[in-house]
Amino acid sequence: MDEILVQLPTGWINASKFEDLLRFGQSPHEGHCSSVRFRFPIGCQLMTDAIVRLLSMCNQLDYCVKRVILDFEDGEGGVAGYLNRIGFFDCLAPQIEVSPGRPATWASQIFRGQNRGVVEIERIDRHHRDQTVLDRLSDAISVACAGREDVKDLTNSAWMIFAELIDNVFSHSETPLDGFAALQVYRGGNCLKVTVSDSGRGMLETLRPALAADAPQLAKLPDIELLVEVFRQGLSRHGGSRGCGLKGCADKAIKFRAELDVRLPSVRVLLVPGRNGYSPNKAYCYSHLPLVWGTHVCFTIELD
Amino acid sequence: MKRMSENSPLLLREFMTEDDGWGRPAGRETFAKILSFVESHPGVVIFRVSLKGVRRVDISFAAETIVEIARKYRTFKGFCFADLEDTDQQENWNAAADRAKQPLFKWHGELPAIIGPQPSQGTVDALQFALVRPEVRAAEFATVSGTSITNASTKFKQLWDQGFLLRTERNAESGGVEFVYRRIR
Repeated sequence: MDEILVQLPTGWINASKFEDLLRFGQSPHEGHCSSVRFRFPIGCQLMTDAIVRLLSMCNQLDYCVKRVILDFEDGEGGVAGYLNRIGFFDCLAPQIEVSPGRPATWASQIFRGQNRGVVEIERIDRHHRDQTVLDRLSDAISVACAGREDVKDLTNSAWMIFAELIDNVFSHSETPLDGFAALQVYRGGNCLKVTVSDSGRGMLETLRPALAADAPQLAKLPDIELLVEVFRQGLSRHGGSRGCGLKGCADKAIKFRAELDVRLPSVRVLLVPGRNGYSPNKAYCYSHLPLVWGTHVCFTIELD
Repeated sequence: MKRMSENSPLLLREFMTEDDGWGRPAGRETFAKILSFVESHPGVVIFRVSLKGVRRVDISFAAETIVEIARKYRTFKGFCFADLEDTDQQENWNAAADRAKQPLFKWHGELPAIIGPQPSQGTVDALQFALVRPEVRAAEFATVSGTSITNASTKFKQLWDQGFLLRTERNAESGGVEFVYRRIR
């Protein structure tokens, strides 16, 4: 097989819809295809969780020396213009082809940080810890949510979530590619999406070997249950006194009744907050998914 | 070298490179500086930590800095917060302390609050007794609470082991040795 086509639909596409496309189609990472084409029809609109996942996946495929083509049917007038403004093309591997062509100007550098409710994509450079990334992301929230009474709490919570998730990328992912952090405040939907994505080994890959020695009963859990426990009780490959970061993220997010979406190389869990936080019986689980490297976490925080 | 007495707080910000404490690597770097500072003040037993100028900390940073130094010196030296007011920061220090099973105190004048793990049901009364006094002996608590001295001693030893109190050995009036327990303030 030479080329796999991922045909995106019209309308809004979030991570779940993007995952459905992958699930019901041919897996771009697997098989013998040498080329993957993502086709964006007129009227296609992407949400930030889908954008960041798409971005990571494109760069991964490019890293595997596959030809990647992003085909925008309405040129820069539609979703490509939007992606340009939010910095997508700044982060896209240079060899990836864009049809009808890469946007000529990097609009994101012109608009960055100026638009209320706009998404910001930040590159997580695995060679350099840039503290200002956290400031830019949390400042964007404080601007977008300036009218809210709980803006300080919201901003600090989002800062903490980004801090722990990005720190996790540096500490655990052993990623060969840059990761990405992004946020978007949806005024119409009254929600905030906070997402961090890396192209590393996936958090369970690094956790399981350590658990086998320290906590064999946990090591026996299936991927999906173990993933829930990572956010529920905090688990770390470095032992019992560590691992509180992701649990801390979940505790902050729970205050805002946030949904948590975690995608690993072949499983995905969507956690909905219950009375006692996140629990396995409030989880929507997907296994045997098409391969996507890394760990992709998205919190969707309800703002009203 | 900064001068230090038990009355002057340890300003965490002075050991940080940024006003936000982010991640374990930055935490470890800060820990090394705090450790060196603490070791250069061998006579100081209680360090009151001020968060003045610290804008935010994440849980990983909290775990690697004050929580870790308190854990390292548990039973020998005590660390407490002089001005932990920010709710968000308090949640993060609490999560880190809880995880490490290392209690820390924050003080509002005479009123203490425990950050991190709480004392067991069986030792709460002894801790409450100790927290409103500069120093206490097990025998004093035994008299007031009507419990045996052995039982009171066990409770205080447990609180000392778990990092809720400090203690020193003194010669008792009776001629033996007794332990005097001290709150971390």
